[in-house]
Amino acid sequence: MTEPATTTAGTRTTSPSPADAVVRIRGLRKAFDGRTVLDDVNLEVARGSIVSVIGQSGGGKTTLMRCVNLLESPDAGTVEVAGEVVHQDGRRVCRDLPRLRRTVGMVFQRFNLFPHLTAVENVVLAQRTAGVPEQEALERAVTLLRRVGVAHRALAQPEQLSGGEQQRVAIARALALRPEVLLFDEPTSSLDPEATREVLSVMRELAADGMTMLLVTHELPFAREVSDHVVFVDRGRIVEAGSPRDVLDNPAQARTREFLAAYGSAS
Amino acid sequence: MSGFFQVPWSDYRPDLTAALGRTVSYTVVSFAGAVVLGLAVALLRLSRVWPARALAAVYTEVFKNVPLLAIIFLSYFGLASAGIRLDVFTAGCLSLVVFYAAYLSEIFRSAISGVHAGQTEAGEALGLGRAGIFGHVVLPQAVRLALAGTNTMLVDLLKSTSLLVTISAAELMSEGRLITSATFRALEVYLVISAVYFVLCYPLSQLLLLLERKVRAGVPLSPWRRRRIRAARALLAAEPAAGPGAGTDRKEAAV
Repeated sequence: MTEPATTTAGTRTTSPSPADAVVRIRGLRKAFDGRTVLDDVNLEVARGSIVSVIGQSGGGKTTLMRCVNLLESPDAGTVEVAGEVVHQDGRRVCRDLPRLRRTVGMVFQRFNLFPHLTAVENVVLAQRTAGVPEQEALERAVTLLRRVGVAHRALAQPEQLSGGEQQRVAIARALALRPEVLLFDEPTSSLDPEATREVLSVMRELAADGMTMLLVTHELPFAREVSDHVVFVDRGRIVEAGSPRDVLDNPAQARTREFLAAYGSAS
Repeated sequence: MSGFFQVPWSDYRPDLTAALGRTVSYTVVSFAGAVVLGLAVALLRLSRVWPARALAAVYTEVFKNVPLLAIIFLSYFGLASAGIRLDVFTAGCLSLVVFYAAYLSEIFRSAISGVHAGQTEAGEALGLGRAGIFGHVVLPQAVRLALAGTNTMLVDLLKSTSLLVTISAAELMSEGRLITSATFRALEVYLVISAVYFVLCYPLSQLLLLLERKVRAGVPLSPWRRRRIRAARALLAAEPAAGPGAGTDRKEAAV
């Protein structure tokens, strides 16, 4: 595995020091009902870097991501977040699960906004339960909604919003607790091309601001553009990992080439 | 026309008013109790511990499949013969609570499990604890789903208080029976009593429908939500601080 390299996304530089990894996964294994979904997976996300996980649906990408904030419990291996081991050898070590989840923001494929609350309330809720004072939480929510370009829809219910708007509110919601790393689980997979463009442009801005991100995506051109590191996962194993140029343009493994050819972006 | 109304209704007005008050008391107390017990049974039914689930299932099936009148007789006459002497009000409320809790628990259970699993996950991913997820995410959405069925049960419960005539609960129906035995004007009396029930139930169900519609439209009903939305509106109306992302945003429009 190569270390994350400096990207094209702006002035941001990444530290090569492994001590500064926000997420570090070692020897991860996970099975559902005896079917192995992830096997001996190692992954590192350096502070300020962007790592994209690509691969076929059902290959374990989403499960891998969900092991970071422990929405799934790994069967074996070590998960370390922000310098702290949170899961080891199939046991949760982290005592304060809510705190871990505030350190790791997550954006879902199906948005999962709270339908009974307005957009701005969606962004306020977790801040309040985390103890942020009301006015401060509201101000932050409005600032974030402005940042993702949906402040004009702040008082709308999620069902009144377009898919792109919903996903941008979901990004604002995930940012509200100032996480150290953001997880994106196929954030544009249920969006039309126009909405996809809106969401990707917000993510591009976050990248330019130096946000640490772990991204599961089928948007290979976007992954090539913003990622420091691309990981190709197939049948629960990391087949190939490296810079976008290495993995997406000059894949070493036959399986990677096959996958990229099927996506029509190997050229 | 004038020949039909021969009962001296104005003489009975104080008694009828008191009876009406009792009907309302039975309804309010029993419904509140039934909601609390129904929610507890629903939560037991959704518990991860199987004996809790079994207990809740047995409770629900027993009280759903026994007539309310039998429950009323059991709690007033039955318990009394076993040495547990309950006054009429307690026995009446107890019967209504245990009976309607069984139905409400079914409504609540399906509402709670009807909230999409992704909602709980989103709550978890945001670091809300178990109580936070239940209180802020699942319960408010379950209330929306349960509202229609619950409202039907409230009106049904109000009408069922009339069964308490069998233990002389001094509510509307009992009062009707008293007036009938004094005047022998059964048709007139029971028509008037029925009209009173209608005048109670119809506006109540219309009001509840209105509430359902408002909740479904996402109208903030609690004062703290209204306050939060007012504060948000004020912030949105203020000039945005110049920032990198501010340029793409339009001015806030009324929703």
